[in-house]
Order: sequence, then structure tokens, then C-alpha cells
Amino acid sequence: MKTRLLLLCASTLLVTASFGQKYFTKSGKINFDATSPSSPEKIEGVNRTVTCVMDSKTGNMQFAVLMKGFEFERALMEEHFNENYVESDKFPKAEFKGIIDNNDKVNYAKEGTYPVTVKGKLILHGETKDVEAPGKLIIQDGKINATAEFNVLLGDYKISIPGLVADKVSKTAKISVACSLELLKG
Amino acid sequence: MKRKKVILIISTVVLVLMAAGALYIYKEYNRTHKDTAEVKADYSVAATQLIKNFEKDEQSSNQKYWDKVIQVDGRVKDIIKDDRGFYSVVLGDSSAMSSVRCSMDSIHNKEAAAVQKGSHAVMKGICTGFNADELLGSDVILVRCVVDLKK
Repeated sequence: MKTRLLLLCASTLLVTASFGQKYFTKSGKINFDATSPSSPEKIEGVNRTVTCVMDSKTGNMQFAVLMKGFEFERALMEEHFNENYVESDKFPKAEFKGIIDNNDKVNYAKEGTYPVTVKGKLILHGETKDVEAPGKLIIQDGKINATAEFNVLLGDYKISIPGLVADKVSKTAKISVACSLELLKG
Repeated sequence: MKRKKVILIISTVVLVLMAAGALYIYKEYNRTHKDTAEVKADYSVAATQLIKNFEKDEQSSNQKYWDKVIQVDGRVKDIIKDDRGFYSVVLGDSSAMSSVRCSMDSIHNKEAAAVQKGSHAVMKGICTGFNADELLGSDVILVRCVVDLKK
């Protein structure tokens, strides 16, 4: 009888633990940096309206970002980014769907910093490509601070850089992601 | 003598044109974004109505509102300040999952900080589109937002 009760308790605990394991944000940040080494100025945009959901149980991650929301310091740069490069009127959204490869190494119940590798597919400019990125999960106060950095070859996504600015705009863009994820209640 | 005069006139014109061109390029290159507070709104709509429009037909709503300056009024569901001090003001029906999310222009942070949760606010910003999400609720997103004090 006692063991049964214990088992029941244990299974209830397990069930409750598996609920509420989705974390999310709607104000995540993605930095886009395509400054070429020879460029005298930064070619950099930032988007602060990134949606991200992750499931701590499975390690599944999903990002959605509206391309028009990238803000550049110079208006002209932002217009070129939208009109000539990513064509945000035709392809308004970029998405990433992937999984934390070493999710079993992360103890979500314990505060700390965990190095992770995220693998998945990035849809940008209408093209889908495999992406692998090293990142970090910092678990603190019931929140997860997720950061990652990776490079994309713009040519892979059929984004071409005109010869005129080829010395300024790099062929690869460095993408930095920073999201402060909260537990999804419900 | 006549020929010399012609050459002089032509070269002056060319020089002036080149200077004007250089000035234009320089100005264009250094052009910053217009302050949303100074720009007239293309559309003025209630937050709940804007959400409804996008939920009903995302494509045609995108065609209408995308990259346009929109004045939105609604109840403030939430104000979020991120770790770098950037504000987002969330408008909409507090019982509904969907909202209009206004990412504030940092030069207007003071106004954002004064916005009260639960109050009625009029915001102005540039629409970047719609993020449909069944789990989290869908959002219409505006960037470079200001609190519209003129109304």
C-alpha cells in the first residue's frame, strides 16, 4: 500500500513536472552584422521583436522574426537592407526551427550556465538551409537567458551583394541571438 | 576669346553640378530616420480592430498596413522593459491572447515609462507585420513607436 502511494506521488510529480515546460519571449533580440573587415563603418541592424518558444523537455526551439523590424542607424542602409537584400516585402518573415542537440546535459531545475548546440533549419529570403549554432543557456530566477551566435553565408539564401558595396558588405553575416525566456503559464 | 568663355561656363556648370551631387550623396548617406512623432499617420485604428483585420486576412492587411505609419489606440495590457532599457507597450483586450506590440523608439523612452498598465493609450509606429501563433497568441508588430501625445 505504501509503495503504491509512493508510486502515485512520484507519478503525479512527474506529470506536474512535465507540464509548464515551455518557455517563451516576444521581445527577443537578433543582431545582424554584415560589416566586412575592410569597411570603415558598421553595417549592423537589430531586431527587438523576436518571438521564441522553447520546450525544455524536448529541447525544441522555434524563432520567428519580421524582417522589416530590423533597425539600422542609417535610414539608407535600412532601406537597402529591406529593398535590395532581404526583399522584406516579398519575404516578410524569417523562421528557425530546431532542437538543442545536448538538451539532456541541461538541468533546467538548477541555476547555472549551460553550453548548448542548436541544430535546425533557417528559412530566410524564401530559402531553407541547415544551421548549427553554439549557444548558451543561463538559468536564473526561473528564467532562461538564451544566447547564440552563428554566421550565414548570404549567397546560400540567394542574397546578392552588388559589386559597388562589396568592399563594405561582407558575404557572410554574423547573427547574434539573445532571448530572455519566461515560463509559459497555462 | 569666345571659345574660352564657353569653356569657362561649361566647367563652372560641371563643377556646381558635381558639388551638388556630392552634397546630395553625403546627405542621403547620413540621413537618419524621421522621428515617428513628427510623421503623420497613414492609418488610425483601434488595437482590437487592427488585430481582427490581420486575423481575418493577413495577406490583404499586410498589403494595407505593412511599412505604414499607424496610429493605434487601445488598453495597455502590459509594459515590458528589457535588460537594456528598451520598452515595449502591449495594447489589446486583456482577456484575449492577441495584441498589438509596440516596440518603443528609445529616444521616446521617457514617454513609454509614463504609460500606465490598464490605462488607455494612443501609440504611433511603423507596422512590420503579423506574427500568428496559436500557442502564444498572435501579434501585430509596430516598431519605432512613440506615445502619440497629440492624438
